[in-house]
Amino acid sequence: MALIEVQDVVAGYGGGPDILTGVSVTIEEGTSYCIVGPNGAGKSTLLRAIAGILKPRSGEVRLRGVVVNGLRPDQMLAEGVCFVPQDPTLFPVMTVRENLLMGGYLLRDRKLLVERLDLVYENFPALSKLETQNAGTLSGGEQQMVALGRSLMLEPKVLMIDEPSLGLAPMIAEMIFEKVREFASFGITVVLVEQNAVRGLESSDWGIVLDLGSKEFEGPANGILEDPRIRELYLGKRLARKDVR
Amino acid sequence: MTNFLQTLILGLLLGGVYALMASGLTLLFGVMRIVNLAHAALILVAAYLSFVLFETTGLDPILSLVITMPVLFGLGVGIYLLLFPRIEGTHRYVEMTVLLTFGLALIVEGLLTFAFTGIFRQTTPAYALDSVSVGDLFIPTGQLYASIVCAVLLFALWAYLQLTRSGRAIRATTQNRAAAQIVGINVRRTSALAFGIGLALAGASGSLISFLFSFFPAKHWQWIALMLALIVLGGMGSIKGAVIGALGLAVASAFVSDSFGPTWSPITFYLALFIILLVRPQGLYGTKLRL
Repeated sequence: MALIEVQDVVAGYGGGPDILTGVSVTIEEGTSYCIVGPNGAGKSTLLRAIAGILKPRSGEVRLRGVVVNGLRPDQMLAEGVCFVPQDPTLFPVMTVRENLLMGGYLLRDRKLLVERLDLVYENFPALSKLETQNAGTLSGGEQQMVALGRSLMLEPKVLMIDEPSLGLAPMIAEMIFEKVREFASFGITVVLVEQNAVRGLESSDWGIVLDLGSKEFEGPANGILEDPRIRELYLGKRLARKDVR
Repeated sequence: MTNFLQTLILGLLLGGVYALMASGLTLLFGVMRIVNLAHAALILVAAYLSFVLFETTGLDPILSLVITMPVLFGLGVGIYLLLFPRIEGTHRYVEMTVLLTFGLALIVEGLLTFAFTGIFRQTTPAYALDSVSVGDLFIPTGQLYASIVCAVLLFALWAYLQLTRSGRAIRATTQNRAAAQIVGINVRRTSALAFGIGLALAGASGSLISFLFSFFPAKHWQWIALMLALIVLGGMGSIKGAVIGALGLAVASAFVSDSFGPTWSPITFYLALFIILLVRPQGLYGTKLRL
């Protein structure tokens, strides 16, 4: 059974227009995904709809066959679906350590919490040096590391990461991609949204192309990388709708 | 020198009560971005509750905290769940909360006038008119007791926010609502809890105020204006700022009142408000907000 199935989901913000116009995707356990597409295609919106942050206007999100689109974000998180938003949403006047501990907010077992914290430090040795620093004072790359480290605190089944390399220096971005690939090797199903499509697809198994709120194409990531149509999309020339159909 | 110390002591004692009043208000703003214009009106509800208990059963107003705090807590959770989820996520949410709580303040004031008329009331426990003298200084006993209670409650609030799981959830929601949601905090439940706690603090303030000042239903406008000045000075949402702002301004107003006469003391608050808005609009401990 597929881990997550998104079926004909329509979603948008407030009273605004539909951003997702009926999108269907399937996430299989153990595969890593990269969702690409132009700005405004609905990539982030899709992740938000799955995470329970945004209620779909219609359609279904199913987790292991069970409909979950009425659940709150904390309930989705308890089900093992973790979302790391675009700009690292940290608690600015808490220390790095406190931020990481907040990632384990749903764990009531203090001992387990500290164990997980040590695991995060093992994965991100740089963070243990920043432990006592307030998150608001960190650089962009450091903040992204805290956000990623924090997402590991609950040992999620699915980790949905929205544009982790946004605004980061290439070397730092490279390190983040490295980490994301490592997560996949731990058995976490990674769903990545990435504006650097080439780099994102290179570190994933499967690619999904979104445009104008629905899925245009999907296939093995390396296949997409070689597809001239998709390459064109990312060289700045946006395909008109009729060209795709 | 004696006069200086005397004024300082009176200012600090008054500041303690202001700090308690303002801490609830700033908590509501910090966690939920609610500007609760009904805060002082709800403080009055607690003051009247203490008054009724004192008149009917002779219950000491300080002891009546045990009743007013839970009653106002429950009222807070109820008000939050009944009114605020409806306007959540609307355009201009903060302005909407101002209108909504303004309406609430009018309703509460109307109900209080209906129940108690506009007569000045006050609870009169024996210590309210008493004072202790230390050397040349005299300390009003009622204000001393009230300040001690305030200090204890503010310390308890601090400990709760720092040390407990739900306290951490409240702080996290204050700092970044989106991030709180991401780490699995149920922000609506946390907001309802914070609203309850904010009003429990209002409940405690009301009981203390019942013997410190005489009050009538429309009195709350005066207090809310003063409290808003305090929390803007301290930085909206910052409890530390509210406490420091309250103590600082109460002392300043005590000195103004001593030098120029009591008529001039309220102006201290608004003058400070003007200056802080010009010099440091986010307040002493506030962060620049993205609303």
